[in-house]
Amino acid sequence: MPTSNTTTVGVVAHAAAPAGGFRVRPGALRAKRRETLADIGMLAPALILVGGLIVIPLFFALYLSFTDWDGFTLPAQFVGPHNYIRLFTDPSVLHSIGVTLLITVIGTIVCNVLGLGLAIALNRNTRLNAFLRVLVFYPYIVGPVILGFLWSSILGTDGAVNSVLGQLKQPLLPFLSDPTWALATVICIIVWSSFGVNVVLYLAGLQTVPESLIEAATIDGASPWQVFWRVKLPMLAPTVTVNVVLVVIGLLRVYELILALTEGGPAGSTQSFVYSILSSSFQNSQLGYGAAQSIVLMIGIIIASVGITAARRRSEQAVAA
Amino acid sequence: MRHSTRKARAVIAISVVAASALLLVGCSNPASTSNTAALKGNIRILANITPVLTKSYYQKLVAPFVKSHPGVTITIESPSGKDVQSTLQQELASGSTPDIVASALDSVVAPQMTPFPNAKWVKATPLYNTNEVKGKVWAVATGVQIKSLVFYNETAFKKAGITSTPKSLAQFTTALNKLTAAGYVGFQTSGDWVTSAQFGMMSDPAVIGKNFNWYTERNDKKVTFADSAYNTYLKAYASWVKSGAIPKDSLGETYQDTINNFLAGKSGIYVMANWFVASANAAPPSFKIGVFPTPTPDGSTPKQEGGTAQPYSILKASKHQALDMALVQYLVSNKKAVDTSLASEGNFRAGYSYPGSALNTAVAKLLDKAPGTFNGTAPGLDPAFGNEETTAVQSLITGTSAKQAAATLDTWWDTNANQ
Repeated sequence: MPTSNTTTVGVVAHAAAPAGGFRVRPGALRAKRRETLADIGMLAPALILVGGLIVIPLFFALYLSFTDWDGFTLPAQFVGPHNYIRLFTDPSVLHSIGVTLLITVIGTIVCNVLGLGLAIALNRNTRLNAFLRVLVFYPYIVGPVILGFLWSSILGTDGAVNSVLGQLKQPLLPFLSDPTWALATVICIIVWSSFGVNVVLYLAGLQTVPESLIEAATIDGASPWQVFWRVKLPMLAPTVTVNVVLVVIGLLRVYELILALTEGGPAGSTQSFVYSILSSSFQNSQLGYGAAQSIVLMIGIIIASVGITAARRRSEQAVAA
Repeated sequence: MRHSTRKARAVIAISVVAASALLLVGCSNPASTSNTAALKGNIRILANITPVLTKSYYQKLVAPFVKSHPGVTITIESPSGKDVQSTLQQELASGSTPDIVASALDSVVAPQMTPFPNAKWVKATPLYNTNEVKGKVWAVATGVQIKSLVFYNETAFKKAGITSTPKSLAQFTTALNKLTAAGYVGFQTSGDWVTSAQFGMMSDPAVIGKNFNWYTERNDKKVTFADSAYNTYLKAYASWVKSGAIPKDSLGETYQDTINNFLAGKSGIYVMANWFVASANAAPPSFKIGVFPTPTPDGSTPKQEGGTAQPYSILKASKHQALDMALVQYLVSNKKAVDTSLASEGNFRAGYSYPGSALNTAVAKLLDKAPGTFNGTAPGLDPAFGNEETTAVQSLITGTSAKQAAATLDTWWDTNANQ
């Protein structure tokens, strides 16, 4: 016997009916068709959106990555894997990948450690904490371009900080003029501008930790550190995963703040991968080459997201259990 | 002196420019607006916004046209990307293009532009044939500008004991050292585009000024950066960094900082195109500004790197072509509009004059005395080279040797250029 009505209808309607053994009522068939049409109708908007905004552009980008298209001249010439070979031998692209990875690794660690630390500190509901939460989150809602220009006027050679240092007859600090300093400055500002959202997410995660567990651990003699390490942190495992994945994806795509703060300089030292993609595509009129870089970035983001999620699964399963 | 600079304001008879035959294109033909007055619509102009060419400047420039065309509105748009070129290309890719672009553009976008008619007013615009692709003019300019100029602080020169303006690279280096010893920033520069723009203003006359097909020959691997005058300038630049004439923290400054610092009397020398004169006129410093041509390896007077100034292009995708054409014709032909444009940046055009300062006159005289001019956008030049040149020149400030920088440019060109 079939195990479900759905299978029965499908099989019987086409194969068994002529034998006269089992007949499906026409009304049931019509109902099923209506149901199927309704399903398709409800899915269609989402499918059209996903197809039109993600799948088709994705395949178009993939196609472009194998051409030398400059963005205007048609038809684009097929160049095979040339763009991919070129990007892995282009020193400036490799440098931009290195810069992006450095920003991502350091930024992810600092954003999460700082975000979790502040979330714990601001977890109690007091007026001061409410104000501090807003203060911490505020940079996140200001656009990165505005923040970039703002910090550029503060940290530039003729900026506010160095003007004060100059008045005090102190040596100026090369925040944006020395390659190492500039990269460190970029990372600090990226962390400052984005970790507010991590604080909020960790605060939300902390609200879900059952008070009874904390009380039980405390009664059993656990110290505050042990409560955090053995109770709160394991319970926050899903939140940690979400935070890490979000920060990694965000930092792998960092661009606007760098554009406004350093324009990729000095001497290309803060040029990120997305900066390189946009330069290649639009400034240098090499859209095919830019598309190849975009595909590599997309694959990198997928690998990072899936990898992190898989690595965190055991911790999350422990919480679920 | 501030007082003397103001006092020296006079109408520049741009006839001095007439000697530069390359820049002469004949008389203008003021646009008639009577047959376009009935046109209506909103025109979006993607404009090159600078400290001088502000949104308010463009709005004032087009105001008379708007007034004479009821129903026409004009929106001035700033670049949302790194510059006008990249913003336009992003907008072309997204299908949301402006109607008119008010900026110099790379010829890669020429096929997207409406060809200008073979009309008298088009041929009257300066250097119109430099913006010709397959016999079609895709951009028309308001004036011409020159770039191989060195502005200097006359007070600083006196204090440093520099009695005559340097002509050769060696004399220039000596002058920079004296300025540094006198407590000035010898060479005023900054990060971003300024670094390589200044380098090009100095080195281009010795490279493409001498051989206009240099980039084509570079594509054919007949010449290299390492074995050309580029390297001579890279070496000189590296020596200025080493001596402290170019402070290592310069890259933390912006273009506006360079103007502010020079006008505040902090630096002795500022290499910049003639458009700097407008900033100097707007905020006259307490010292007198002089100007001389960029130094050459042998001390000879260089050709001036020139080009079209304040050009306009119309997008084929624009839905009101007749209105766009009427506006562009107005901007590049109407006497009042052209005079305003020329005065805004201190640019030049035969047959037009505007009230200018002593510095305007000094620049015009340099152009008159120059052995010629050449267009900086030479054939074979890769549009991506500007970025690489910026990185290479900035790397001299962050510690790379001239030899390494030249080698990097050669490697980049061999693997990336014109692909």
